[in-house]
Amino acid sequence: MFSTLATILKDNWEWRKQIGRLAVFELMKKSRGAVLSWAWFLIKPGMYIFCFWFALDVGLRVGSPDAAGSGPYILWLCAGIIPWFFMQDMLGAGIDVMHRYPYLVNKIKFPLSGISTIFTTATMIVQLMLMVVLFIIYFACGIPFDIYLLQVPLLLILMFVFWDIVSILFSQLSAISKDVANLMQALSTPLFWLSGVIFNVKAVSIPWIQDLLFFNPITFFVTAFRDAFYGKVWFWENPMMCIGFAVVFVITLIAAVFVYKKFNEEVADVL
Amino acid sequence: MSSNESATASLADAKSLHKTSVSDEVVIKFDDVTKTYNLYKNDRGRFLGIFNYNRKGSFLGSVDASKNLSFEIKKGEAVAFLGHNGAGKSTALKMVTGVTHPTSGMVEVKGRVSALLELTAGFDMQLTGRENIALRGQIMGLTRAQIKELEPAIIDFAELGLYIDQPMRTYSSGMKARLGFAFAVAIDPEILVVDEALSVGDRAFQRKCIDRIREIMMDENVTVLFVTHASSVAQEFCSRGIVLDKGTKVFDGPIDDATAYYEANY
Repeated sequence: MFSTLATILKDNWEWRKQIGRLAVFELMKKSRGAVLSWAWFLIKPGMYIFCFWFALDVGLRVGSPDAAGSGPYILWLCAGIIPWFFMQDMLGAGIDVMHRYPYLVNKIKFPLSGISTIFTTATMIVQLMLMVVLFIIYFACGIPFDIYLLQVPLLLILMFVFWDIVSILFSQLSAISKDVANLMQALSTPLFWLSGVIFNVKAVSIPWIQDLLFFNPITFFVTAFRDAFYGKVWFWENPMMCIGFAVVFVITLIAAVFVYKKFNEEVADVL
Repeated sequence: MSSNESATASLADAKSLHKTSVSDEVVIKFDDVTKTYNLYKNDRGRFLGIFNYNRKGSFLGSVDASKNLSFEIKKGEAVAFLGHNGAGKSTALKMVTGVTHPTSGMVEVKGRVSALLELTAGFDMQLTGRENIALRGQIMGLTRAQIKELEPAIIDFAELGLYIDQPMRTYSSGMKARLGFAFAVAIDPEILVVDEALSVGDRAFQRKCIDRIREIMMDENVTVLFVTHASSVAQEFCSRGIVLDKGTKVFDGPIDDATAYYEANY
């Protein structure tokens, strides 16, 4: 177990230069052939935010669910939905990276865990761009820079590590069976609606349901980012949320190491 | 291993015009290597097979692509792998390149491997030829400066002209293969794996490829593995031949004996 974990870490460290450059190539590929190229990374999320804001605040009038919060609903929405964009990409393409880079699997010698890191890095670069925009929006709305924002880099690192592990776990499995990719894509919708992206989990009145929702890692990240930007709370002030995430993190890590150990030599044969 | 001794002995004489010298350093070592592929009726069967749940009818059986394969290749040798379709030549070479792992046994490889396995594979079709050169170079661990240095030689060798800055999906299959070949021979490999790659392009280009491979082979530090059905090509390039059949090694010796054995038996 530990030797496999050490191998994963060692591979990722030794190949870090290649991983970084391949991540940039991934983004170049995405923006290739479009006149607006890099702008599309921002336009798509912008559309998404507009639609949710319009449907929920203007249409359904459920705005500003945070009693403690200050500022309009759209600010509350942005702080949670921007991390979701990262997680959405990871749940979509990120859990099936082997089929995305078949040539790295069975044509060139490359550590398989590194392929997950390439995609996670590429997605994280986009996320960082969106984070910059989020900061600009918040400052433009007059919300000051304070100590709570120091959580943001920490959460970004945590988000990177966790979803990289998720990607390592599921991309191995989905290389072997298409069912896994389909299952995860089917789960993506319930995971979204049962997380706190568009409603406030802390406002759920039945305590055990609230506790249960915190076992969804998406809820953890969305709520923690929102606490940092909007609610001005430290994320560890909510112990149930941290326990729920810690449990999921450890289980995912163990499963990923176990799966990697069992399958990483077989993946190239079946892809 | 009498065949091994005769292999080294013959290097001294007739074949010395191909290979200048062979050092004693072993760069590739196969020790009792077996590679088994489990075959299932469909992906679902394979998935269940992971959990050792082999339902009747879904598990079709297993095939040993390589079986108890043992050999050593020294630095600077040029070895031909002979055998008909399905003899396990490509599987053995894939294990040398490190993309496939043996089911049991040990494979040891020292040095940078450049493979001409499937020339058109391993390129990203959305990127341009020039970007693909950079991409592959980076995967191989070359620095930016080294890539810049190699680039003109690769572009020149591949004869792509203006197409080098076009996305690779617009290339013809010949253009892709030429670029693949040009890259593989340009990076000064320590171990070069050639799998039926010489049928690239027109006659003039083929001649250029053969000249380039010969040039690489003359370098005493480069080890070359060569897979082919054609005895004449093997004889031209290699000093030693290994004949494979159904995954096992049936003959290992000087190239002329190996091709004679191969011609007589298969």
